[in-house]
Amino acid sequence: MLRFYIEVARTAFRRQLIYRWANIAGLITNIVFGIIFSYVMIALFQVRSMAGGYDLKDALRYVWLVQSLVMVVLTFGWYDLMLTIRSGEVVSDLSKPCDFYWYWFSREIGRSCYYLFYRALPTYLAGMLLFGFGAPLPLDWRLWLAFMLSLPVGAMIGIAYRFLFNIAAFWILEARALGTLATVIALVFTGNYVPLPFFPGWLHAIADWLPFSGLMNVPAQIFLGKLTGVPMLLEFLRQSLWLVVLTLIVRAVTTQATRRVVAQGG
Amino acid sequence: MQEILSDLRLYRRLIVIQIRGQMQYKLNIVIDILTYFAVTGLEFVTMLLYFVPFPTMLGWRVGEVAMLAAVTSFSFGIAELFGAGIDVFDETIRRGDFDRVLLRPVEALILVASSEFRLRRLGRMTQGMLGFALALVLLHGVDWTPLKLIALLMGIVSGSFIFVSILLLGATMCFWTVQTTELTSSLYYGGREMLSYPITIYHQALQRFLLFVIPLAFGTFLPTCYLLDRPLPMGLPVWVTFLAPVVGLGFASVAVWVWGFGVRRYQSTGS
Repeated sequence: MLRFYIEVARTAFRRQLIYRWANIAGLITNIVFGIIFSYVMIALFQVRSMAGGYDLKDALRYVWLVQSLVMVVLTFGWYDLMLTIRSGEVVSDLSKPCDFYWYWFSREIGRSCYYLFYRALPTYLAGMLLFGFGAPLPLDWRLWLAFMLSLPVGAMIGIAYRFLFNIAAFWILEARALGTLATVIALVFTGNYVPLPFFPGWLHAIADWLPFSGLMNVPAQIFLGKLTGVPMLLEFLRQSLWLVVLTLIVRAVTTQATRRVVAQGG
Repeated sequence: MQEILSDLRLYRRLIVIQIRGQMQYKLNIVIDILTYFAVTGLEFVTMLLYFVPFPTMLGWRVGEVAMLAAVTSFSFGIAELFGAGIDVFDETIRRGDFDRVLLRPVEALILVASSEFRLRRLGRMTQGMLGFALALVLLHGVDWTPLKLIALLMGIVSGSFIFVSILLLGATMCFWTVQTTELTSSLYYGGREMLSYPITIYHQALQRFLLFVIPLAFGTFLPTCYLLDRPLPMGLPVWVTFLAPVVGLGFASVAVWVWGFGVRRYQSTGS
């Protein structure tokens, strides 16, 4: 069965390869926003050289890391599942001889891998070239290992989360507005707009306990070397715990939802 | 003149039909507007968090940046409301619907522009207005003069014209590329994002671009500077603020002319 899921993921990866122009266009958008936020950071750091433990170089790296990873962890405007529920196609997916959630999960893993190579890497390289902030130092293998472990957990949290608000379509037919709101809330609290270390203390404390911190904030802090040692292990634990909890919730809700399915012939 | 008036009447009629259609699902539309308001409001408030660790952004205080972002949001909101049909034009082309539009004895642009009108976009305009109020509170008020009010209103409308013109230029590209090029998307959304901050933070080349190539800065940045008694960028004299309508209409005319050129060159997609 595992072979089947891996094949699903690979197919999703290859399917994505076809949309070459769409990816280049998206890449341009990521770079444009990277440039805007870089200038915002440069302007802000004129008045003080450190904020929340970040200097300008850290902030620039952070900006470009976020632009690189956002498509890997939480695709904005992902309504693929919702649309199959609306069109009724979902019935064919439900009757496949595999688990409904793991099927979508594998597809999305394939896409995330695609975006890691074809979106994240070029975006970050563009940032390095445009703003010359170099690779994050130190080039410590433990740091990279931790990042490579934490990023997939973030991506999987993202999959569970967007599956959750997509599946709302079983109850509300037009759930796209809800989905946009859910996405923006997650993006705010994972530091997509303003990095969490810039948040006021009390808000940062709240954000730390939300599942969204694990999406992008935790991998990013590890990448920048701001999270090391025991605190890193604890954060990783919290991130993994949220992944388990969200996955259990998604599976429970899916069971509830699929019980309601009434397929119309035609 | 007679023709333009009848075109406008038709446009109004088509928009009213759209509104009436959407009002059939009242609860739905209210939820949509509220959600859109929440989304844009959340993004707005989050941006202000920059000013927790940093007191100013290149000399701009939190209230001033909030004012700028609110004005931009409102101007963009108007553009979104009226430009939706142009925004989805690539769909129209791909489905081959544009051939039908051309068969009708009416100006094609009117039909395209009125083919969509999304009431939920009122959410962003509401956010812009509340953001404006919040900015006034943060600034402890502004020294209003009649000229400032005029400059602001002219700027907002001109800004909307330029935003819609960007969409129109993107739509024109669809005649050749069929798919909408995200280049316009980057300009449209990226432009909004850029104009939410003082343009003086950007590279000189980028500032010139926003003033003289895609003159979005005339729409919101210059009037906001004038409103807040700040000097204009690049040493421009103050009266330049009042050129906004000329610049806006000029840019729109260019966009309409390019569009007309595209329509004449249009060959169907063959699907």
